Amino acid sequence: MAQDSTAPSLTLTPGLKAWPVPRWILAWPALAWWIIFFVLPLAWIVLYSFGSKPQATEQGFVSLKSLSLDNYLAATSELFFNVFLGTLQIAGIGTIACALIGLPVAYTLAYYVAPRWRPLLVFLLILPFWTSFLLRTFAWRIILAPQGTLSKTLQSLGILDGPLLVLDTSWAVQLGIVYNYLPVMILPIYVAFERIDPALAKASMDLGAGPIRTFFQVTLPLAAPGLFGGLLLTFILAAGDYVVPTILGGTKGLMVGNLVATQILSAQNLPIGAAMAILLILMLALTVIVGIVLLWAVSRALRTMRGAAL
Amino acid sequence: MASEVNIVRISKAYGAFKAVDEVSLRIRQGSFVSLLGSSGAGKSTVLRMIGGFELPDTGRVEIGGKDVTQLPPYRRDVNTVFQNYALFPHMSAAENVAYGLRQDRVPAGERRKRVRDALDMVQMLSFAHRRPTELSGGQQQRIALARALVKRPSVLLLDEPLGALDRKLRQQMQIELKLLQAQLGLTFIFVTHDQEEALAMSDQIAIMRDGRIEQLGSPTELYDTPRTAFVASFIGAQNFLNGTRIADTNRLEAEGAQFTAGRVAEGLQPGAKALGAVRPEHVALTRDEPVDQPNRIAGQVAAVVMLGDALEYLIKLEGDRDLISRVQRGRAAGLPNTGEAVWASWDAAHFNLYPHEDLQVQSSRM
Repeated sequence: MAQDSTAPSLTLTPGLKAWPVPRWILAWPALAWWIIFFVLPLAWIVLYSFGSKPQATEQGFVSLKSLSLDNYLAATSELFFNVFLGTLQIAGIGTIACALIGLPVAYTLAYYVAPRWRPLLVFLLILPFWTSFLLRTFAWRIILAPQGTLSKTLQSLGILDGPLLVLDTSWAVQLGIVYNYLPVMILPIYVAFERIDPALAKASMDLGAGPIRTFFQVTLPLAAPGLFGGLLLTFILAAGDYVVPTILGGTKGLMVGNLVATQILSAQNLPIGAAMAILLILMLALTVIVGIVLLWAVSRALRTMRGAAL
Repeated sequence: MASEVNIVRISKAYGAFKAVDEVSLRIRQGSFVSLLGSSGAGKSTVLRMIGGFELPDTGRVEIGGKDVTQLPPYRRDVNTVFQNYALFPHMSAAENVAYGLRQDRVPAGERRKRVRDALDMVQMLSFAHRRPTELSGGQQQRIALARALVKRPSVLLLDEPLGALDRKLRQQMQIELKLLQAQLGLTFIFVTHDQEEALAMSDQIAIMRDGRIEQLGSPTELYDTPRTAFVASFIGAQNFLNGTRIADTNRLEAEGAQFTAGRVAEGLQPGAKALGAVRPEHVALTRDEPVDQPNRIAGQVAAVVMLGDALEYLIKLEGDRDLISRVQRGRAAGLPNTGEAVWASWDAAHFNLYPHEDLQVQSSRM
């Protein structure tokens, strides 16, 4: 529309008085929550990570008399580095496994299940969340126990020579991670698939693409935001988990979360725990950024390979 | 190259609902055929079966003499312009048009040329790099058309493609589509519920009702000699007189008078309940009784509606029945005003008798 400076300005809501306070005031409850329960604690942890363990004569958890980087040096020991790589591996493989399992499930749910059955199936998908996280994870100890039913069944079928020795290894942690975070992956992908107009797949087929090419050229690119959200969410949650490795990992399946928890809860060394937590945050951010750059580069390369349309 | 489309006794049921019931239709190479009907009449289902999106329960579809009934959409030499265009939102207009050519692995050089030509044909070359969301409805419509035509299909299917456009743009696109079809010599199969649209564009119209083809013919045939009262009421406006056929004559007894018809439809039994139909433009109005005209009836002008080139007179008959007369404005001088008495009359040649059917129920049926 052409702008005319002499034209009278339009009142958007005639008959309504202008709001006496700025509209962003509405964002304050959420903002206050975020600042009080996220930003401030995080700032505290950053501060603590530069402090030191209090002497026996001192009060409190942390001594802030002399700030230094000592905790970071202590935290970047070989043990921490190895556990960190292990964490990345478990979270990375877990995320990929969740995506590989979750994609077909979400696709089936969105395209092959009649709309009236979908709410029920989505409900069943999140049903496990109604039980305690701890309890669900603990249940795997019973399933995976070397003397358990699964182990005995596999042995009697001749699949295993000896008892099942998965429990208290990183394999059990891997399994627990996939089990616990699969719904977190499925839901955003399902929502993304469901929002795609079914006519688009028809148009693609009409223009000569078979079902597989249609999936990779139309459906998947359009579901990319949901897939990306699922990957990010699963990866971050999995990398920060310490309940699963504590319950299923024994001494071999340690993750960074365990180290942080040990430092803070057992060793009573809050400053080193804080430094480890900060390192975990930084390294996760770095991993995510590297992932985004990689994805961007791949999509760009594909685009160049395809050539311009005009 | 255009192809002939031959539909042989196809049926499709969804549960107990028969969407398409033994429809046969032969569509000549290079012709523009419309499937016209209200929603639920089965027209879109027929189109989907031609496109390959729906498998008929019985019957077969032939395109260019080849049976394609079992072929998926991507193996048919047919393209579709979808109802809401179904443009790929993650691609530019040009990429949308190029999509079909990529699937056929057309070499890049030729592909770009054909995309350019197709965009040029629908006058959208300057919008090539826009995303669908940045285009207006009419522009999206053109891209959808270019995307389907760039593949040079032998048959183009159009599923209510103009439904979402405003009236002015729709009329403009009707003309453009018709010109394009004539210029390319392609077979167009066009689904619409808009009778004006079908009349304006088609070589042949198939009027569908309850999953069957009620009548197939040229726009002129359908308008001038509708075979049933349903077709008569569906195409154009129509006045109906409720009455009884007198013995086996071509005469109708209705409104306490007798009327002579030019044509008696097939299936109207002697002495049966009948509908007499006359179009508003054939109803003449006079102040004095036209004694030499056997088809005449007295009434009162209830309203006069200005239509631009014509006036529409709403005549109240005895018993609160309505009759509509459409009069060219040049001939309206001296006609009675609202509230005055008037005589309506019409020639037997424009009066047809049909077996009685409940048209009220039909038109409100979904």
